[in-house]
Amino acid sequence: MTSLFVRRAVRAVAVLLVAAPTLLTAQAATGTIRGKVSEASSGRGLADAQISVVGTRVGALSQATGEYTMVAVPTGARVIQIRRIGFQPVNRTVQVLAGSTVTVDAALSVSAINLSEVVVTGTASPTERRRVGTSIATVDSTVIAKALSVTVDQALQGKIAGAQITQNSGGPGGGGISVRLRGTNSFISGSDPLYIIDGVIVDNGSAQLTDLGGRSNPQNRLADINPADIDRIEILRGAAAAALYGSRANNGVVQIFTKRGAIGKPRVSFSTRVGSNELREEQPFNFYPYDVNGNPISRFNLQREIFRRAPTYEQNLSLEGGSEATRYFISANTSEDQGIIRSTSSKRQGARINLQQQLSSTLIANVSTNFVTTKNAFQAFGEQNDYGIMGSLFFAPTQYDYRPVNGIYPLPPTLGTNPLLAIARIKNPQTINRFIGSAKFTWTPIPKLLVDYTAGLDNAAFEQGQFVPRGAVLGTAPLSTGQAQSVYQNTRVINQDLVAGYSWNPGQTFEWKTTGGFNYTQQTLNLTQSGANGLAPVGELVNAGSVPFGTQRFTQLRTLGFFAQQDLAAWNKLYLSAAVRYDASSTFAPQQRWQAFPKFSASYVLRENEPGLLNSVRLRSALGWAGSQPGATNAYSQYVTYTNAAFGGRPGFVNDITFGNESLKNERAREWELGTEVSALGGRVGVEATYYDRLVSDLLFFQPLPTSTGFSRQFAPIGKMSNKGIELLVRTVNVDQKNLRWESTVTYTRNKNNVESLSILDFQSAGGYPNRIRAGEPVGVFYGSYAARNCVTGALLLDSLGRYRRSNQTADMGNAAQRVAISGGTCNDSLNKVIGDPNPSWLGSILNEITIGKVLRLRALFDGTFGNDVLNLSTRAQNSVISNNSASYQRELLPYGDARKLAPTFNSRTQGIFEYWIEDGSYVKLREVSASYTVDWSPVKRIFRDGVDLTVSGRNLWVWTKYSGYDPEVTAFGTNAGGLGSVQTTAADRGIDFGAYPIPRVWSVSARFTY
Amino acid sequence: MRMFKRCVVALAATTLGACSLDLQNPNSPTQDQVTSSPDGVIALATGLQGRFAASHFNYAYMAGLVTDEFAATAAALISISDAEQGSVAPGTGIADNVFNSIYRTVRTADELLAGADNLSGSFEAGTRSGLKALAYALKAEALGEAIQSYQQVPIETFNITAPVYVSRAVALPIIRALLDSAAAQIAGTPPSAFFTASILTPGVNLSNMIQIFRARYARMAGDNATALAAANLVGRSGTSAFSAFTYPAPGVNPYSNVTGGTNGIAVRRQFRTSMLPQDQRFTYFVIPSTTLVGRTATSPLDPFSNRYAISAATQPAYFPDEALLIKAEALAIQGDLTGSQAALDSVRTDCTGGRGLDDPKACLPALTAGQSQAQLLAEIYVQRRYELLGTGLRWEDARRRNAIRGPAAPPALPVDGQRCWLPYAIGDRNANTNVPADPAEPTVFPTGCSL
Repeated sequence: MTSLFVRRAVRAVAVLLVAAPTLLTAQAATGTIRGKVSEASSGRGLADAQISVVGTRVGALSQATGEYTMVAVPTGARVIQIRRIGFQPVNRTVQVLAGSTVTVDAALSVSAINLSEVVVTGTASPTERRRVGTSIATVDSTVIAKALSVTVDQALQGKIAGAQITQNSGGPGGGGISVRLRGTNSFISGSDPLYIIDGVIVDNGSAQLTDLGGRSNPQNRLADINPADIDRIEILRGAAAAALYGSRANNGVVQIFTKRGAIGKPRVSFSTRVGSNELREEQPFNFYPYDVNGNPISRFNLQREIFRRAPTYEQNLSLEGGSEATRYFISANTSEDQGIIRSTSSKRQGARINLQQQLSSTLIANVSTNFVTTKNAFQAFGEQNDYGIMGSLFFAPTQYDYRPVNGIYPLPPTLGTNPLLAIARIKNPQTINRFIGSAKFTWTPIPKLLVDYTAGLDNAAFEQGQFVPRGAVLGTAPLSTGQAQSVYQNTRVINQDLVAGYSWNPGQTFEWKTTGGFNYTQQTLNLTQSGANGLAPVGELVNAGSVPFGTQRFTQLRTLGFFAQQDLAAWNKLYLSAAVRYDASSTFAPQQRWQAFPKFSASYVLRENEPGLLNSVRLRSALGWAGSQPGATNAYSQYVTYTNAAFGGRPGFVNDITFGNESLKNERAREWELGTEVSALGGRVGVEATYYDRLVSDLLFFQPLPTSTGFSRQFAPIGKMSNKGIELLVRTVNVDQKNLRWESTVTYTRNKNNVESLSILDFQSAGGYPNRIRAGEPVGVFYGSYAARNCVTGALLLDSLGRYRRSNQTADMGNAAQRVAISGGTCNDSLNKVIGDPNPSWLGSILNEITIGKVLRLRALFDGTFGNDVLNLSTRAQNSVISNNSASYQRELLPYGDARKLAPTFNSRTQGIFEYWIEDGSYVKLREVSASYTVDWSPVKRIFRDGVDLTVSGRNLWVWTKYSGYDPEVTAFGTNAGGLGSVQTTAADRGIDFGAYPIPRVWSVSARFTY
Repeated sequence: MRMFKRCVVALAATTLGACSLDLQNPNSPTQDQVTSSPDGVIALATGLQGRFAASHFNYAYMAGLVTDEFAATAAALISISDAEQGSVAPGTGIADNVFNSIYRTVRTADELLAGADNLSGSFEAGTRSGLKALAYALKAEALGEAIQSYQQVPIETFNITAPVYVSRAVALPIIRALLDSAAAQIAGTPPSAFFTASILTPGVNLSNMIQIFRARYARMAGDNATALAAANLVGRSGTSAFSAFTYPAPGVNPYSNVTGGTNGIAVRRQFRTSMLPQDQRFTYFVIPSTTLVGRTATSPLDPFSNRYAISAATQPAYFPDEALLIKAEALAIQGDLTGSQAALDSVRTDCTGGRGLDDPKACLPALTAGQSQAQLLAEIYVQRRYELLGTGLRWEDARRRNAIRGPAAPPALPVDGQRCWLPYAIGDRNANTNVPADPAEPTVFPTGCSL
């Protein structure tokens, strides 16, 4: 049935394409339109305005001076539309005569909300925002450029309502970033959105090929993308908006468009940035100058030796320009980001060529090619306590001097490695060679029919090495005998997309548009690992070892989908849309895999660009379904498979204890949203507000099977989870005078997650950590032991030494009757309970931008997260008996009589009381601050056309928080990280600070020259 | 233009035609690939032997801990040091490993039986009988170890969603019938040379293994005639009498993994110190120590000998002298005290060179003639302790002799076993409504375990 369907669809597509030539119309005579776009308040030329001829494919972008030229405009009465983000669009009707030139100038006035903005994502072909029943966030190149971030996802922090963008680690090269749109929507399929660059679905995996910290997330592969190449990003937050992406759209979609080049003379732009990364603040350690017996000793501050002020550099060179027929954007980029932990760094070098060529009056070809090499020198952190630097720092007692003596680094007494040894000798190099390319053909045989075909390739060759010298870590073989590894993974994503849209306007009142197409994606992962333990004293490669190991893995995933969409517009006010995607993935069982994902949306424009207090009002609502697929790790979960269990020197098969699910199907989300966009006070206040309600069913996880069957578990649907919330974005133009302009953007996001039901017992999502999935609670709540309290007074119950009593310890609490007796009630009866929630109750940001004159721009972005808890396992590690290096442990050493004195073993008692380590992780960060000055003196402008922009900026300069660790934002788990051999992470595992890499404070100065 | 269109059509047609969504998993074979090819079924037989060796070890490890054989190497190993005192909470990993791995062995044995029948045309008769006999024998022994650990056990588990638990009284005849089937298979059609050379793990004698298992469960059922007959069929001398699992690299003998680290155990020193001074059998099992202690300073230990501690050491599947001890017991109960004493003495007097076997050698003098039945049975019990360390048989011996105290009752007398049963595995409890409540442990000593 499947293949029949495919064959029919192929035939339909073929017929459509072959029959089309008869529709081709003869080439008509054309004219030229030129003009200048300027800002109404200041008269200054506006760059990057989009000028298009309605009903044709002809268009142009204004240059830095605001000037533009469009040639090959079909003759006749034409409507010219001029649009730019942040301004109200303008339509002009002109008569175009064959061979002549018409001038159309336009002055645009500010508008905080723009209903005519063209968006691509979520619909089959570009459309105006007003027509879309869902909220779509857009971020343009100027916003990205001003963030001065290392990666694209970093640049989005604090800019999008409904998105929780967390930097999981502060390592170089962007750190690992996770993006949650409207909460957590899956346990095991990840919760990061689908990323599409120029129509190519790209890999944003964060899996590491050697153990760089268990499930930690030093970098995700979006870090390979140069932010300076990006023209625009569109974010679809939910299922209703993203239904056309079918079984992968549950977590939303981020579509990235790179720069295309503006028509005009070649324009060269060069920018350079030099910055400095530094540790925001040191943690208090135990620096008490006496030991446990009161004898004077000296203590050592390892932080001084581990952290450094590290430079960061970036250079971008781009060349763009073109004629009507050909446009080009060529860029080269090099950057080096050194980490605040010595010996860590990330370098990126890349180049891009984007070409657009008009092949005929009806056919345009677009080619994008991007090659990038990312080279990282990382050190392990997070859960990795054998050779991880941060874990070893937290476990290293301060009474030892860790500097080398006679070239030999002393190892700590009990656990881990000497961080200084790791810095000097342990190596984890990575090289990622990545090519992302796409070819897109746009064919307009008749003005009403538009056919787009895109073929894309994302090929990443990821090489990762490891060298841990012999004797570098404590503990037993094999690691203590040294380890060398070389792991190679090739990830290839191939996409094909065909979209055909036909529109017609019966009687001008109605507009009718039918769209259909298909999408095919194939993802292939090929991994080979070789490694060895028992290293010779000299030699860092695998062949220096005596005990070899290795593995190979090959994984392929394919997704095929067809879609159709019908849009109806009436009176330029009412827009209705219905669409369906019919989708199948190779991951799912044949009889379950074809699934339909419908969506419906309505949009009504009550007012548009009216004078007075209330200028524009739009109401919108949408209902849609989308799915999600598990990743490559679970690609073959539908099969009952066998494992090679060699015995007695012979190969043998035994059943995998995870039983295949022969009816495996995708997770399915239903989302409903309702929202409005309002523009008021002459366009100076814009509000976007959305309420959403999402329910994800058939959530996949491991369902326990009776172990008496010889199996332990099965990958199967186990529950439902909901996310409900509101998103609010307010843009205001507070002052708009000739020489002073002050704009503000405020976002507010509130999301309430709830695990609605589970068909299995509640379970710990992150093996060994208290994140738990429990019905009726938000996903990943902390569940564990607590300090018992008096049920009447609420006071902590202390034992005779003044130590806490641990709820799940019989030694502390006695038997059931004694428990009630010492508690004065039954409030401590449960051994464990919910002790915290890593999910924030709300997020907010405030961005202020002030432009003084034409030349000075000031900008500050505050970004905050509120009501989330963090489990501070880093300080817990410091407090353990083997580490005894915390400030709290220091209090145990104080003489009796000191008011701050803690009872001996107070700290070892708190080790088992997880509630004690829960802290409020709310924070406000000064995420971005910058001052830019444009040197536009005429001698400068003679050389550099747009003057020279000089910027001083900072990222993460200040943090306001009650959290006691390095940073409440970092967490030990990446999203769905789970590298080679490590445990798979679930999206529920959040808010664990365990040896995380602190996020640095970054200062930088940059200059931009345009010739 | 036309060229372009042709390209698009060709590309769309070829790629869509090629994009089958039914992808095979190249990393591991599927059930169909394994169970429907002779090679796959032969590999299952190897997998079964590996799984049996693992489940047998898990059982022996746990049985040793809850009797007076093994103890934790450190107090910090909480679940192990709890278990050596008889305390095993539901969900304890080392206990659940016993149940879970036993039923994995059973699963693979069932698959092998099905595969040998389905592909009967592909195997020569002797290969098929060998495969089936191996599957029957290892399934029976795995289930037998289950009934020595759990008060009730599931018996029918193959492709059943929620297996039902039955009592030992119901399970034991089924186990014995499986072993009789195994014996009948190889008696009817002797295993082929191919089976013996290429399928059976080198170092294992299938016939001896089946007969000793038959004797073991006949003795447990009180069927002394069958126990005697089967024990007499077990080889007594020469290397072929012995069966051991081998662990060529990168395989690792499971005991070498638990001599330290997070699962560390060692032999209680009293195993050696309670022996008669002349008894040499401790040298087989331990390296005498005067310093090694475990959970507390008052729990002295001896480390495992290199027969256990080194990773390439072979592990006995059974000790042939168990057959002699079963024979002695059967004869004593039947009233043939002279015959019983002769069999017992051949164990006691086994010394250097012995019967050509690398097994524990007591080098004790023969008993004085004319022992009473009670004296003989008591002596058999003592000999079983020193001869069969690390086989898990000590637990059932303690149980049948009412030498078990419950974990809650402080010992009034020296005790041999710390608890009657393990709690049922949490993995089964969470997904199978047929799991009975965990049996109560006895609170007074001495008392029998409720069966």
